[in-house]
Amino acid sequence: MSEALADMPQSVSGVEVMRGIGAREAKSFWADAWDRVRARPGAVFGIVWISIMGFFAVFAPLIANAHPIMLDRLAADGSVESRTFPLISHLTPTDWLLMVGASLGLPWVFFGTASLGRSVRITVLAALLAQGGATIVLSQVFVWASENSSLPWLRAWARLEAGPWPLIVAAALLSALVAFVVPIILSPVRRILAVGVVAVVSGALVWAAGAPAIVNHEQLVLEESAGRVRAVWTLIPWSPEYTRSDMVAQAPGTQVANVLHLGGFRGTPFGARRTWLGTDALGGDVLAQLLWACRLSISIGLVSTGISVLIGVTIGALMGYFGGWVDLLLYRIVEIFMAVPTLFVLIVAAGVLPRNTYVMMAIIGIFSWTGAARFTRAEFLRIRQMDFVQAAQATGLPVRSVLMRHMLPNGVTPVLVDTSFAIAAAITIEATLSFLGLGPDGQASWGKMLSSATAATGTFVWWLAVFPGLAIFLSVLSYNLLGEAMRDAIDPKLRKAAH
Amino acid sequence: MATYLIRRLLLMIPTVLGITLMVFLIVALAPGGIGAGLAVQGGQMSDTSKVAQMQAYMEDRYGLNDPVVVQYGRWIARVCPVRFGTTSLESPSGERIAVPRELPEPPMQWAFPAPAAFEVTFTPQSGDALIEEFRTLQRDAEGRRRTYVGSVRAFKDALADHVRVLGDPWTARLDPKGGADPNNFRDLPLGGGQPAPVPADAAATWAKVNAAAAQMHQAWSLAEEARQRATIAFAARPFPPAGVEVIRDVVSIDSPDFGVAFSRNRPVWDLIKTALPVTMLINLIAFPIIYLVAVPTGVLASIRRGGVADIASGFLFLLLYSVPVVLAGVFAIGFLANNQYLGWFPVSGLHDSAQATMTFLPHTDPSGVWHRGWLLDTVWHLALPVLCLVYGGFAVLSKQTRASMLDNFNADYVRTARAKGVPRKDIVISHVLRNSLLPLITMFVGIFPAMLGGSVVVERIFTIPGMGSLVIEAINLRDRELILANTFMISSVSLLALLLADILYALCDPRVAYE
Repeated sequence: MSEALADMPQSVSGVEVMRGIGAREAKSFWADAWDRVRARPGAVFGIVWISIMGFFAVFAPLIANAHPIMLDRLAADGSVESRTFPLISHLTPTDWLLMVGASLGLPWVFFGTASLGRSVRITVLAALLAQGGATIVLSQVFVWASENSSLPWLRAWARLEAGPWPLIVAAALLSALVAFVVPIILSPVRRILAVGVVAVVSGALVWAAGAPAIVNHEQLVLEESAGRVRAVWTLIPWSPEYTRSDMVAQAPGTQVANVLHLGGFRGTPFGARRTWLGTDALGGDVLAQLLWACRLSISIGLVSTGISVLIGVTIGALMGYFGGWVDLLLYRIVEIFMAVPTLFVLIVAAGVLPRNTYVMMAIIGIFSWTGAARFTRAEFLRIRQMDFVQAAQATGLPVRSVLMRHMLPNGVTPVLVDTSFAIAAAITIEATLSFLGLGPDGQASWGKMLSSATAATGTFVWWLAVFPGLAIFLSVLSYNLLGEAMRDAIDPKLRKAAH
Repeated sequence: MATYLIRRLLLMIPTVLGITLMVFLIVALAPGGIGAGLAVQGGQMSDTSKVAQMQAYMEDRYGLNDPVVVQYGRWIARVCPVRFGTTSLESPSGERIAVPRELPEPPMQWAFPAPAAFEVTFTPQSGDALIEEFRTLQRDAEGRRRTYVGSVRAFKDALADHVRVLGDPWTARLDPKGGADPNNFRDLPLGGGQPAPVPADAAATWAKVNAAAAQMHQAWSLAEEARQRATIAFAARPFPPAGVEVIRDVVSIDSPDFGVAFSRNRPVWDLIKTALPVTMLINLIAFPIIYLVAVPTGVLASIRRGGVADIASGFLFLLLYSVPVVLAGVFAIGFLANNQYLGWFPVSGLHDSAQATMTFLPHTDPSGVWHRGWLLDTVWHLALPVLCLVYGGFAVLSKQTRASMLDNFNADYVRTARAKGVPRKDIVISHVLRNSLLPLITMFVGIFPAMLGGSVVVERIFTIPGMGSLVIEAINLRDRELILANTFMISSVSLLALLLADILYALCDPRVAYE
């Protein structure tokens, strides 16, 4: 009797009675969906592989780099003359942004004890990264525009040794302004502060990285074998763009020293290294390119899908909410884009536009938004009739509020479920375009490696087909498995059928 | 139904126009514009004045110097079978009939005054003779214009050489590519001491500049005279009649004209006529295979839902669906076709090089040697390309079949049939399957454009001379006519496929009525 009493709550409030004593709070929709996704082994496999890819995408410069981490120049008696850190001075602003963002930002989001909620922290991190990225893109656009400009003074400025820093600062401030206008989170004062700090820091990084000291790798490797320098290399002393003409098409597992046939190499860390996955027809390391290409694949998948979702949801929401002639007109545009043989037009566009990552992201996004638009339109047509929307309209809320706060969160689920498949499709398209030789210039890409597997001479280099091919396949499969799991978890029709 | 068909066909027109306009704008907005491929070709020539002449020729021939919208409008006017008026704007040899363009002024007139303007008078002929005469005059005018443009370029090059000899303060004003814009050199020391004498060490180059200027002025006079003659002849309307008149003097009908490909110097239509059947052949072989494999699998999976066949086929097809065509193509050509490994299939092409001597069917000749014949040879060549096209469709179609079968299994009429004691086999085949086939027809819509795109890749990998190879070639050479015509054909074919799917849908399901 006394034990039973101990279990009884001391006092019961009216609210608790209403909820039911001992009842636990129901899981939120997304938490429930997430648990269902996690219950599927296929989805877990997908998440694991995507995380691995993400890790390499961020930290590839620290794992595979032709610049040594530490370089000691030795005097004749073997004492250290000077010590430099070429790897650090050669990191690009993008590298810095990704590595700092991932190594500080992610722990802050997942393990932080700040007073902010996790979703708020995710939003802040995403906004800051997006804005830093915007700074870099803008500054690159400025540098590119000034180098190709017809104005002589602008060209002269772009040729300055330190880089055209005033333009970059302008770009940083502009992006800060943009990020401020696009609402993120926090009070206005904190927002300005955060935005300003990131813009200035990333702008300064862009400027500082304007003219890194040039290191001659071949020279360095020769000097190392002669004992004039001592270098601490990364795990893979090879950048994707670094090729050695004496290491062409070596099979996986070849030791560098065995190929270079110079006794001096045998003892050096560079010579002791094995090309674990072989080298390509130009003498570049396959593993290094494989790791660096994660960045291209992941970023193209995410950004182009982001663009297509943004366009699709906007147009779909307009069609579904306003109906009538807006719907009629916009649906014609959707029909045109649906009838377009997408891959074909992408091939044309990628062929004639500049070969550049951002252009590729943009064109993939611009030609693949019809699915999102149709899903959103159907959902909005349905939700428009529902009581809560009618109530919101009846209370005289502005259209913006009805659309953004009431309808959007309820109508965007089918689009979000579909994003995983869209990312898989974008990765496939990137691989295809790169395979056809229409991919971004100067970037390691799985598709490009795949195309070099069947060389013009007719020989087939299996390690150039199998390893990048496997990487493409696993990435696409991961996103497809994840998408499948998400669809099963969220689609109420299927869930009902399963019971 | 007829009204629906007409409406759909009419709606296809703006859609095709939209797609081609989009592609046209993409090509036009690209750096270097539409003529970029020509510039690349010209860039291999060492003589810059020849490059300038070549560019002027291309501009005349294809109207590349007009605004993008005008160029697009002209393209549409050529492709559209319905023409306004009864005359052709092109001469029988494919040249545009147009007023010869005004000549650019000779540069640097403050130092080298241009020859005085003059007026040419002559009476053009009439009738068919006029058309012939105008063609000669137009060619003449264009040719002399090109010579003039080339001489301007040569003058600018001579000027640049001279400036380089002059040295430091002047060289900074050269273009980054090393050319000289005469407007940057208004205060250049001129001969005759105005405003400062030419330095002695630059006398040789200065003489060359003077000679180039004289040549340029002579070329200008000749070109101007030819231009005025052609203009007068043009005023007499030298248009050949074309097409079949529908409304007298207002509307006529003519066959679409896709123009001449820059890069091959052949009519685009000829190129498409040989390439399109190849692509259609591959796709038409692939389609039945997809349906024959995927539909039975989907049916089996739905009958034993959750069983081994269901889970295994779902997993296998998802795996296959995740393999990009490029990957499958490279693996197929590397491991199955390359002689380093299995070497079972041919590496490239659609036919053996000895196809002309082959019999149609396989046969054994008197000496007992077996010949595979044309038919088997083609199948052998097509095996890998078709394989690469089909596997991706399996997952989509079998998933759809399964879902649609399951929907019908839950329907009331199936329960009724079961209650009546209809055998299970009959329920599956004549009740459920028949009703589930409808959504599969619409799947055609989803798969077909994707397959056309996929066949670009497959044709590229297996070097098959179809539309895909033509597209890649057109893009690499920036051949405007070829790109546009390919876009037009591919989008028309995929739109027609969509229409066909809708018609089939209406034919199969009496409930569907298009009004």
